[in-house]
Amino acid sequence: MKIAVTGGKGGTGKSTISTALALELSKENRLLLVDADVECPDDHIILSTTREKVKDVHALLPRFNQEKCIKCGCCADVCKENAVVMVKDKYPFIVTRQCNGCGACLLVCSSGALSEGRKVIGAIYQGESQLPTRTNKERDKYNLLLIWGEMDVGCETTSLVVNATREYADALASDYDCILIDTAAGTHCNVISAMIGVDLALAVTEPTPLGKHDLELILQLLKIMELPTQIIVNKYDVGNLDLIENASKNNDVSIIQKIPYERDILKKHSRGQPVVHKNIEELANTLVSKLNHEGQEGGLQK
Amino acid sequence: MKTITVLSGKGGAGKSTLAASLSVMLAKDNKIVAVDCDADAPNLALVLGLYEENFDNWESLITGEKIQLSKEKCQSLKFCPKCQGLRKCVEACKYSAITWNQEEELPEINELLCVGCGACELACPTGALTLKKVENGSLGVGKTQYGFPIVSGQLKIGESGSGKVVNELRIRASKIAEDIQADYMILDAAAGIGCPVIASVRGSDYVILVTEPTPAAFWDLKRAIELVDHFNIPCAAVINRWGINRDFTAHLQDYFKTNQIPVLGLIPYDVRFVRALVNLKPAVVYEKNFRPIFKQIMENCLFQMQNIPLY
Ligand code: SF4
Ligand code: SF4
Ligand code: SF4
Ligand code: SF4
Repeated sequence: MKIAVTGGKGGTGKSTISTALALELSKENRLLLVDADVECPDDHIILSTTREKVKDVHALLPRFNQEKCIKCGCCADVCKENAVVMVKDKYPFIVTRQCNGCGACLLVCSSGALSEGRKVIGAIYQGESQLPTRTNKERDKYNLLLIWGEMDVGCETTSLVVNATREYADALASDYDCILIDTAAGTHCNVISAMIGVDLALAVTEPTPLGKHDLELILQLLKIMELPTQIIVNKYDVGNLDLIENASKNNDVSIIQKIPYERDILKKHSRGQPVVHKNIEELANTLVSKLNHEGQEGGLQK
Repeated sequence: MKTITVLSGKGGAGKSTLAASLSVMLAKDNKIVAVDCDADAPNLALVLGLYEENFDNWESLITGEKIQLSKEKCQSLKFCPKCQGLRKCVEACKYSAITWNQEEELPEINELLCVGCGACELACPTGALTLKKVENGSLGVGKTQYGFPIVSGQLKIGESGSGKVVNELRIRASKIAEDIQADYMILDAAAGIGCPVIASVRGSDYVILVTEPTPAAFWDLKRAIELVDHFNIPCAAVINRWGINRDFTAHLQDYFKTNQIPVLGLIPYDVRFVRALVNLKPAVVYEKNFRPIFKQIMENCLFQMQNIPLY
């Protein structure tokens, strides 16, 4: 089963909840946690994992051969990113930073002056939790691997890094019972790319007018993507829970779990410790029973 | 006019809280324009007590393009050696937006992933693919009860191009700034360091980095600093919720000192900040006791900015 943890707004607790849930679920399942917030991935900090680069992520970067160029300017015409600078009677110049690697210019250049080069735009990492609070025996009990994408600073085509991370995770999927994906904030292309093909999306929100506003945005997106969705209300006891309950009703998406606001949770988070909380345990149990249920259905179909 | 961008990398570090309170304080003696550059999940107007319906007007933005497939044209080449079997479009799309549908023997486009680059259009030998302009967002201008205008945007759900929407917001905000002869423009950036954030930072005069004393926020902050350095923009920091981890706060302060990043101020951890948000009031309005904190941040900020060249 593939579950995404998302939520529109930043700071509602996606990473806190993803990591806590991952630890909880990994007690009895082989769990792959994917941090798809490639702009600012921090699950590995929260889980104090090792950090091993597994591979670079590349994007296409046109390579220019002056000898073949006839200065026709077609490449500059098709480039939607204005990454090709063309001054009259001069050779075109490609601004690496601006190029999104779409390859349009290559397709249009008839003289073969452009060929396919590449640049590194990020990397995929993996790591295992090294929480100091655990004894070896306890560590053995958990069956958790974290993989995450990290884009290079200044890169604008982050969704390519998300795609590469997702593909890498998919290749490992058969070794795991459950894949949990922690997405970036917002509703843009990165978040969309991260959630492709998941079986369930959990939208994390908090009971404030801002929380409600952003929840409705992400619910709209999930509806367009036709993904089964449930809501997690974080810090449910501060603010006004009615706001979220109304949004839940109006959008016909139920609340799967509520997690209280506790200074202890915040403190743990600030020390870089994952949160253990009975409500997260409950959430994990609910998800596991869903997982088993679906497993059985799969069995029956066979 | 000087443009100040509020940035943090990590979401929820307190960007909007700071941007709102700073704007209110600055607006007392200066003309300012506030811009919410988080087109994905805009909140600054809400924090300033302004609902979408309170805006003067909303207009749609057409800055995006998406590809459209004509099945007939595509099929017409079934026996053409140039494309049939080669699926040029699938190969051309670097964004995995086109997959091959075995049953229909047609390409299938995932509109959510299409960024409108046009590569497939160029690759297709039959002209079966064409780019169409799409409305991908909206732009609104509102007047806050604190006397300054705010420009806010909203990316249409499922559309791409938040960077382009941010550019539009900035163009509009600059026009308004010119009209009212503003002294400052305050940009509240999105979370992360991707294209919408780059669109906010690029061409700013000054960046305020908001962080909190947690290892995760610190990690994200360092990436945000790299971005600011990349564009060579002077910056300063504000440490939010310092009360939750004093040791780590000291660690942050050391880091800023070593890296010669001035710290404009510390904001304590206080549940009243949450209440201010819930009540849709900027912190300095909700709780008078917060004013000295933000006043100091503002004064330090203005002092630091004296020394930067004006473009
Ligand atoms: S690959 Fe695309 S973005 Fe890059 S220069 Fe060519 S057309 Fe422009
Ligand atoms: S399209 Fe090719 S030949 Fe024409 S200007 Fe560009 S690189 Fe030169
Ligand atoms: S326009 Fe670009 S992103 Fe969209 S489908 Fe074609 S190649 Fe892919
Ligand atoms: S390249 Fe054109 S003709 Fe070929 S499969 Fe794609 S749309 Fe059809």
